[in-house]
Amino acid sequence: MNLDRRQLLRLGGAAGLGAALTACTSAGDGPAIASGPVDLKLWTHDPGYADYFTAAPADPALVGGSAWTYTVDVTSIAPADIVSRLVNQAVANRPLPNLAGLVIDQYPRVMRADIAQSLFVDLTDLTEPLGDRLLKTQPYTVDGKVYAIESDNSVSVMFYRADLFAELGIPEDIATWEELLEIGADVAAATGRAIGMVADGDNGSIVNGFTQMLLQRGGNLYDEDGGLAVLSDESIEVLRLMAEGVRTGALLSIADPYGGAAAAALKGSKLIATVMPNWYKVYGLEANAPDQSGLWRARTIPAFAGGGHIASTMGGTAFAVLKDQAETDAAVDFLQRTYLTSEGQLARYGAGAYLPTLVDLYDTPEFQDITDPYLGDQRIFEVYGAGAKDMPDFYQAAGASLLRDSLGGPLLRAINGRADPEEALREGLRAYERQAPA
Amino acid sequence: MSAATTAPRPGSGTTRWAPYLFISPFFVLFTLFMLVPIGAGVYLSLTDWAGLGSPEYIGSGNYTRLFQDPSFGASLGNTAIYTVFALAVVLPASLLIAQALNARGLKLRDLFRLTYFMPVVLSPIIIALVFGLIFDGEYGLLNAVLEALFGFGGVSWLTDPFWARVVVVVLVLWRWTGYLTIFFLAGMQSIPGELYEAAEVDGAGPARRFFAITLPQLKPVTAFIAVTMLVNTAQIFEEPFLLTQGGPGESTLSVSMFIYRAAFQRQELGYAAAAGVVMFIIVFALGRLSSSALGVGRTR
Repeated sequence: MNLDRRQLLRLGGAAGLGAALTACTSAGDGPAIASGPVDLKLWTHDPGYADYFTAAPADPALVGGSAWTYTVDVTSIAPADIVSRLVNQAVANRPLPNLAGLVIDQYPRVMRADIAQSLFVDLTDLTEPLGDRLLKTQPYTVDGKVYAIESDNSVSVMFYRADLFAELGIPEDIATWEELLEIGADVAAATGRAIGMVADGDNGSIVNGFTQMLLQRGGNLYDEDGGLAVLSDESIEVLRLMAEGVRTGALLSIADPYGGAAAAALKGSKLIATVMPNWYKVYGLEANAPDQSGLWRARTIPAFAGGGHIASTMGGTAFAVLKDQAETDAAVDFLQRTYLTSEGQLARYGAGAYLPTLVDLYDTPEFQDITDPYLGDQRIFEVYGAGAKDMPDFYQAAGASLLRDSLGGPLLRAINGRADPEEALREGLRAYERQAPA
Repeated sequence: MSAATTAPRPGSGTTRWAPYLFISPFFVLFTLFMLVPIGAGVYLSLTDWAGLGSPEYIGSGNYTRLFQDPSFGASLGNTAIYTVFALAVVLPASLLIAQALNARGLKLRDLFRLTYFMPVVLSPIIIALVFGLIFDGEYGLLNAVLEALFGFGGVSWLTDPFWARVVVVVLVLWRWTGYLTIFFLAGMQSIPGELYEAAEVDGAGPARRFFAITLPQLKPVTAFIAVTMLVNTAQIFEEPFLLTQGGPGESTLSVSMFIYRAAFQRQELGYAAAAGVVMFIIVFALGRLSSSALGVGRTR
């Protein structure tokens, strides 16, 4: 067959167009599935969520009475890649999951340029009726609407070695941070042990540690409207306290609170107390110091003398439903049943020790009766419940990642006593403002 | 049917297009995977785009912002440090190690080669983990050794801006020296032995032989390695990302990390593209300049 140039170009063009049209065909389009069998695609980074969601369809307490019968197909993806891939798939008009787990520090990425509004179902109709019962909706709120539902309250409490506290004469009911640091300084001088830790490695760890204390003190990085709130008397006070703790040795500087140094500090009983979220008991204490089972206890955090809360929060993962898909209504129903009901929250705790986000559940016998062998069979929900009732709100905004990188260096200098806290905060904010898009 | 009737006539459609068809795969792939992405990157760098929706054209806004951004300045400075170090230390170190490995009568030569090459094949994750354990300020092996030997060991290797940079360059040295050594060694082994024998007869010592024979003979290899190392180090990402995440503050942030951060942590793809274009121009210019200066690809 002889082809001239025009015919060759036509042939190539037709082949290219065919390939492009095939590539642009999106799965998930089509009429909404109103009932019956539905296969939900879920993306998450955490095997615990994968286990919970795949087991949930078989639990009649969770899905009984639903118009749909579910199966869940899980894809495991790293936290940062979930947002990247959601955006990429959406741009390329390729198949999206029905549910996606978004780690809290990745969520600000979807707060930009209407990404959350474009991709996710507005879940405010599910959360609003629950009112103040439902905690931790603020970090996932964009323009007053909630686009993802938190999996774990991540309430921060103080874990401490009861045996060493008794041995060293540290009262277990110390009321304030100021008193604790004073005693901690004496303990550090006498024994080299520390009653807390501060992160001094990457910007994320530094700012997260600072934010945890700031929230407890009553401050915040952003206000409810997404405006910067980090330069405050509370921030300066918290930085001063952290710097003083590091100077005296009461607080141990550790590059990575989840890494080898923290493990060594725990195993060597150099770190005998730490303020961390509930999940740190599993991933930090039990994982690194299983031999210390029964020696640890938990309590609410000593308050700041100047006011604030007896608890804080750090970390979390929320699930969003992807909009405009045949399975969207089913996915919303499934998420509500598994995340916003008493049965769902109890099952979730059983699956991965994820704390309820419905605050009144902490007082129910199902939770109150739970004891924790690692914490000396302590009735742990007495502590978590008290913390959850006084948990501070945490607000995020699209520039959170930039703020973290701008504050990291100056905060570290302040914590190490090489910069004045207020000047460090101002320096961080200047860097933020210079870099923030207009 | 004879062969003369089946062979295409010169000037017929098939023969006219055959050469173009044969060379077209390169041009199609080059256009699809080089020119189109570069063009798209340049276009994106002129827009404000978060990844979803339509990019909004903002002209040179991203570039103006970029050159006023202290973080970008810091990342350029850090990358320059890594690059200068790689050329000034890693390159000579690998040449010297190759020279040592090339010595006649060296025992356990293969073991040494394997040892020096090992860092290249190790997973960067493992490397970062091990380096983290060695250089940890509180529990690190290095501080423990310093404490035991000299009575001081309180260096904040990973949390002090100066020392964090030092650790990153040490990691670059450790990781790439052995790899480059293999190239130098291969080059040395291709130098004719008669040259050394003649020099020995003329009374040249080891140093004289190294400078008068080895170095000149290795010039093409050295030039290739220098240009490759320059271009690679200018795009350094893994070492600072895994070891320090660019911190403390931004003291170890590289240009590649800056781009990654803008694109995949802040969802500012237009801005990241602008930084990518600037990095491309710098790397391309450095690569061309060094190739030209060192005579890479030039016939002798």
